[in-house]
Amino acid sequence: MAGMFILLGIWALVSKCTKNEIPSPLATWEVFKEVMHHPFQNDPDNKGIGIKLLSSLARVGIGFGLGSLLAIPLGLIMGGSKVIMKVMNPVVQILRPVSPLAWFPLGLAIFQDSPKASIFMIFICSLWPTLINTSFGVAHIPQDHKNVGKAFGFSVWKYITKIVLPFSLPHIITGLRLSIGVAWMVIVAGEMLSGGIGLGNFVWEEGFNGGSTAKILVAIIIIGIVGLLFDKIFTYLQRRFTWSV
Amino acid sequence: MTALNSSGRDIADSILEPVLHPPAASIEMNKVTVRFKTPDGWYTAVKEISLRVKKGEIISLIGHSGCGKSTLMGTISGMVKPSYGEVFANGKTVTGPGPDRGIVFQNYSLLPWLSVYNNIFVAVDAVMNNKSRQEKHELTEHNLKMVNLWQHKDKHPGQLSGGMKQRVAIARAFAINPSILLLDEPFGALDALTKSSMHVELLKLWNLDRREKTIVMVTHDIEEAIFLSDRVVVMNNGPAATIKEIVEVPLDRPRNKKEIVHDPVYMNIHDKLLGLLIDKFSIDDVNDMHV
Repeated sequence: MAGMFILLGIWALVSKCTKNEIPSPLATWEVFKEVMHHPFQNDPDNKGIGIKLLSSLARVGIGFGLGSLLAIPLGLIMGGSKVIMKVMNPVVQILRPVSPLAWFPLGLAIFQDSPKASIFMIFICSLWPTLINTSFGVAHIPQDHKNVGKAFGFSVWKYITKIVLPFSLPHIITGLRLSIGVAWMVIVAGEMLSGGIGLGNFVWEEGFNGGSTAKILVAIIIIGIVGLLFDKIFTYLQRRFTWSV
Repeated sequence: MTALNSSGRDIADSILEPVLHPPAASIEMNKVTVRFKTPDGWYTAVKEISLRVKKGEIISLIGHSGCGKSTLMGTISGMVKPSYGEVFANGKTVTGPGPDRGIVFQNYSLLPWLSVYNNIFVAVDAVMNNKSRQEKHELTEHNLKMVNLWQHKDKHPGQLSGGMKQRVAIARAFAINPSILLLDEPFGALDALTKSSMHVELLKLWNLDRREKTIVMVTHDIEEAIFLSDRVVVMNNGPAATIKEIVEVPLDRPRNKKEIVHDPVYMNIHDKLLGLLIDKFSIDDVNDMHV
């Protein structure tokens, strides 16, 4: 909480120094209330902030969901087999650093559809942290645990469900946590490229099409809060599924 | 003219019978050598070890750290493959772990995400293919109660003390009803008091099974080895360790922890083992000053 107050203080200072080009916290609060008025109104020209938020969340949800559905099994296989890891690792390392925004035009070419290309972009960049963390977890199962499976003749299925998955779960959740963070960051940038209703689009409208700086700050605050909530949820899950020996 | 005994058999054959056709050993090792490949070449852990263990016998493998005791026991459990030689358990060649051999690991090796109950159940479930679910639950319950941990059945390993964890590991090994029990320094991490009560508990479990289970135990602890075993196998130092000597422990059972230490036979064996294991018994101030 103390950090928050320091941030507010710096903000007020910056506001004063730029002679209110950057609106002060108080002025922003007024605009915040105004924006939050009727958050779910659905006029064609003037949709509420709630609808914009939900639109962004929906895109992230689909892209992240699909990405995780691919990344987790792939990570389990990669971690479990040295050969497959050797083959796939270079591919992962080459594709991972590519900026998510570069995937957007590719998505557009494939789907010929802007919203789908956005989701494609989220899908691609949600893969990497989950994939890498999952395979790390599987590849680092302690010999002690493996010995149990070996000594008591566990079938492959039993080994996977009773040893591999429970051990890897905290790693998988860490990967998901990082992935959702990336996805949420990317959707805002992505919406600036693709148009369509959403928070990113909101920022674009206000920032580049001569709108209110205060509204940009409001958008930033909302984006930040949502990101924080995601992180808290996954951190809680991570702690719940980590076992001490 | 050959002499015949009362049942009409050749006396000479009767005398030679135990030599020609010895009773099936529970465990038999023939010139077992184990080598590992290292970056610096082959490392020989144990060399040409031969050993026979009778059914229902309790033997200890004792020796300095790194002398290959755990490796040797690994060849019996099937977790380690001999480079040369063969190991037979219950008359069959050992090719890998099996339901006839239960293992208690040095580090307990309990699965932290499973409750005490499920740690045992999952092993029973994996090994006892021909038993019904109900029977498996009964086995789990029975063995948990035998080690007095039934009231802790829903706890997780992280909530247990070292002694309790080891009792779960022992219950798990017993639950699959193996004919051979292999214990790798099972009590090494425990304090002296807990260790002492674990010895008594282990023998109790062994007795409850009518002393039919063969037990092989790796240990550093001389007192532990003598108290529990029928024979103590002393190993040389590694690498390429061999058996130095096998010491018989002709102490009657049941053995009493309090009284046994005063038994002259016990004290003799204790001295003998100390002599086999320890090179220096004291430091001579003047001469060893530069050591």
